[in-house]
Amino acid sequence: MIEIGAASRTARLDAVFAALADPTRRAIIERLSRSEARVTEVAEPFAMTLNAVSKHIRVLEASGVVARRRHGREHILSINTGSLDEVDGWIEAVRRYWEQRLDAMERLLRELDEDRAVAPKDGKHGSR
Amino acid sequence: MGHGETTGPIVQVRRRVRAGAEQIFDLWTQPDLMVRWMSPYPGAVDCKASCDLRPGGAFSLVMASADAIREVSGTYVQVERPRKLVFTWIGPLTNNVTTLVTVELNPLGDETDLVLTHERLPTPAMWEGHTRGWGNILDHLADAVSNDF
Repeated sequence: MIEIGAASRTARLDAVFAALADPTRRAIIERLSRSEARVTEVAEPFAMTLNAVSKHIRVLEASGVVARRRHGREHILSINTGSLDEVDGWIEAVRRYWEQRLDAMERLLRELDEDRAVAPKDGKHGSR
Repeated sequence: MGHGETTGPIVQVRRRVRAGAEQIFDLWTQPDLMVRWMSPYPGAVDCKASCDLRPGGAFSLVMASADAIREVSGTYVQVERPRKLVFTWIGPLTNNVTTLVTVELNPLGDETDLVLTHERLPTPAMWEGHTRGWGNILDHLADAVSNDF
């Protein structure tokens, strides 16, 4: 079908979806969608240890959804929006696939229609 | 679709087709017609289709070109000519995961309102209708992935 089957791409998408499947990680993404932030800022609202939050952050980093850079002694987190475009793209690809198939279906309908118009009417044995 | 699984992304495509529901239904279910439009591959592709049109019956569409052979297959779940056809769908498009396709055909005069729903796609994502805004994406994702997948 459409060329979305590359194994690496699939693996990447799986990682993104797995990352997004957890409510804490979604909350982290939501926080970072407003602005980049230090790890400690990100962890603040959660009723869990910094260590536990860090674990979630590492999952997000591994999936490519979140990026980390060092600024002096601080670790700044930000969102890698491109990673989500890809998720979006996958759904779009499925939609595009069907739109194209339906286009082809309608082309065939027109073709069949024309055949019928050209072919001499043979009695009343109209099948379908 | 009454199968208890409502999570995961859904793609829905709708269009009004200038043909009767019976004729469209046949395009979806008769092998000699299926091969004439279902293959997405341009150029010389040898396309073979077969189907056993009844609930539980299988269909397959094999597309062979010079460099590859690709197959789409599935099982009919609901067969109600000419209004509704529900079938599972496995192929390269779905990374060979079993998904579910529903084709509904509602006659509108001499045209037909076709609604195609493709669900149980292999990875949970945002629902249709989302915008690219982060807040929206997250809202949809929260719905889509709050259950195990």
